Amino acid sequence: MKARLIVNPNLCTGCRTCELACSFTHMVGGKPGLSRIYPLDGGFKDLYVPVVCLQCEDPACAKSCLVDAITRNPETGAMVLDEQKCVRCMACVAACPFGCSLFDRINNLVVKCDLCDGDPACAHFCPTKALEYKPIEEHILKSTG
Amino acid sequence: MVNITINGKLVQAYEGEMLLAAIRRENIDIPALCHHEAVEPYGACRLCMVEITKNEWDGWKNHVTSCLYPVEEGLIVNTHTPTVIELRKTILDLFLASSPHSTVIKKLAAEYGITRTSYEEVPDSTDCILCGLCTRICDKMGFSAISAVGRGHGKEIAPPLKEPPPDCVGCLSCAYICPTHYIQFTDNGKERTIWGKKFKLLRCEKTGLPTITEEFAAYLIKHREIPEDYFKINDLSHRRELALKMGQITQWGREA
Repeated sequence: MKARLIVNPNLCTGCRTCELACSFTHMVGGKPGLSRIYPLDGGFKDLYVPVVCLQCEDPACAKSCLVDAITRNPETGAMVLDEQKCVRCMACVAACPFGCSLFDRINNLVVKCDLCDGDPACAHFCPTKALEYKPIEEHILKSTG
Repeated sequence: MVNITINGKLVQAYEGEMLLAAIRRENIDIPALCHHEAVEPYGACRLCMVEITKNEWDGWKNHVTSCLYPVEEGLIVNTHTPTVIELRKTILDLFLASSPHSTVIKKLAAEYGITRTSYEEVPDSTDCILCGLCTRICDKMGFSAISAVGRGHGKEIAPPLKEPPPDCVGCLSCAYICPTHYIQFTDNGKERTIWGKKFKLLRCEKTGLPTITEEFAAYLIKHREIPEDYFKINDLSHRRELALKMGQITQWGREA
């Protein structure tokens, strides 16, 4: 895992461009409600937090998946859900402590952020660089895990 | 990599994978009712039958279920020869006799030009085609709450002693995976019923929205070491909470 999607709420204006970019990338028609990233209210004035899958080191989604449908992509480091294997038991949706494993009721799919195979559309479109996908130096990766 | 020929096209397949995977990767549509990526192949429905041959076989051909046949170097596969289609038609004809009311079977049979079975319809027919997907996924997930019981005409899928299964956690995977949508359940947002067993749904402490069943959460806590707190609120509340926590940290940075 050499690059990370870095979220900087300080720079987020809550414009929801990331949400649109995500919806258009992953879903037909680009409905904002079907996005995998949510800029939510941070609880203070002019403070928004883009909530997106954190690609945890010890992910509850993969641990709770009883059919091993969620695995880490070794190239991007993202936890990727195999739609063909998923049996919609909703274990990962209930188990994720950050609520980033989502259920799409319209298409009957469980979806989560897969970092767009190493080129996240949300980071591309973020006008203020609150979302950035950039490589991380080895020594920082080692110290933070 | 292994070189095989599918419908005249030379393709590469991964060593050890089954023919069906290679065929599907080529976007060739062949029916398969008992196949799912999450479980091992089983070969129950026989619909994925294809014709195989090799150059050195001197014109000898064989018909195999592609979901169970591993790829081999030099294999020549044909998915839609007249004999294969005839075989599939016969199988669908038989399915239509045993499950005449299943919309999935009816639709698939109609695609192959069969609208009525030429056999005698089974009098007390069900939509269950005994493909075993439900029992296989239940075993794979580690519950083994249901199994096939009886033999021959009396064979059916049922919980032990046909009583509400003690091992079932109400995850609904069997109902989802059932190719003919035969497995019935009810879910009113408070209670879920499947296989005659009633489950209470966990509710988010903040929004009151239902998540998974209490039994399923208990299983995940015990066997998968998921902390109990994770199941107290639903995904929406989890996201809101994360936003508030990250917001608080950002605010401290702003004030400093």
